Amino acid sequence: MDSRRSECEAIVRRLWPFVDDKLPDSDREQVTRHLEQCADCLSHFDFARAFLDAVHAARPADEHDEALHARVLAALTDQGMTI
Amino acid sequence: MLEATRQPRQSTSESVRERDREFTAAALPWLPNVKRFALSLTRNESDADDIVQETYLRAHRYWGSFKEGTDSDCRKWLLTICRNAFNTAVQREGKSVAVDDDELESLAAARAHNAARSAGVDDMYARLDLGPAIQNAIAQLDPNFREVVVLSDVEGFSYEEIAETLGVPLGTVRSRLFRARRHLQESLLVYALDAGFDRVKPAPKLRSPAKETNDG
Repeated sequence: MDSRRSECEAIVRRLWPFVDDKLPDSDREQVTRHLEQCADCLSHFDFARAFLDAVHAARPADEHDEALHARVLAALTDQGMTI
Repeated sequence: MLEATRQPRQSTSESVRERDREFTAAALPWLPNVKRFALSLTRNESDADDIVQETYLRAHRYWGSFKEGTDSDCRKWLLTICRNAFNTAVQREGKSVAVDDDELESLAAARAHNAARSAGVDDMYARLDLGPAIQNAIAQLDPNFREVVVLSDVEGFSYEEIAETLGVPLGTVRSRLFRARRHLQESLLVYALDAGFDRVKPAPKLRSPAKETNDG
């Protein structure tokens, strides 16, 4: 039980680098194996991924700001740009 | 007048035109990205527009020294200039932030999940539209955390690209990123609870019928 618990802790300590795919291969495989058989740890990782997906999805849309585009072009022309 | 003598008419030669055409074609399509990043730094539309304009003026001036590679290189270069323009504008030093242990920040992510679970909102990301709350939470972050989390989790930069863009070591990128995520997760949990979403959580674990019989 205690060894199980400390194994879980060792896995969870690598949560962010794992989710960001920044772990060395051997570490990554170890975490993957653990997650295949530990639903509780897996739920932490899933929650973290859901969080990151939500942050990415919340990004403001690329808005085509015509006014800003025109303003930047005008400033560039003032600076000597030839177009 | 002086300008005119220094810069003979040949300066608007075909090669300059060509260079300017290249610049426009490579740099201007990233305007929405530069604007979004500028807005994340200034949190103010009109200041962001000023920063964007300054970014493009600098980029045009230094275009000759930029070796064009892939599209994303140009974006990274523009965001680097944007960040520097912002720093100049607010005279912000790249003050260093206490470095937290990356592993402790990972443990904090599990704690955030446990807290959400015990509050009955561990499916908050699936169930709620947190978009506005997330944008708001990002805006509340300290600028040093905000720029890292925006580049990573909003714009999709790698740790290495962020380190180059911001001119800070990789370890600093990681620790700021993980800490920014912790702050965001904490804010969003508070938001979910304040908004009353825990009310619809499933009923707490039912007591066993045997226990109820004993009670009665």
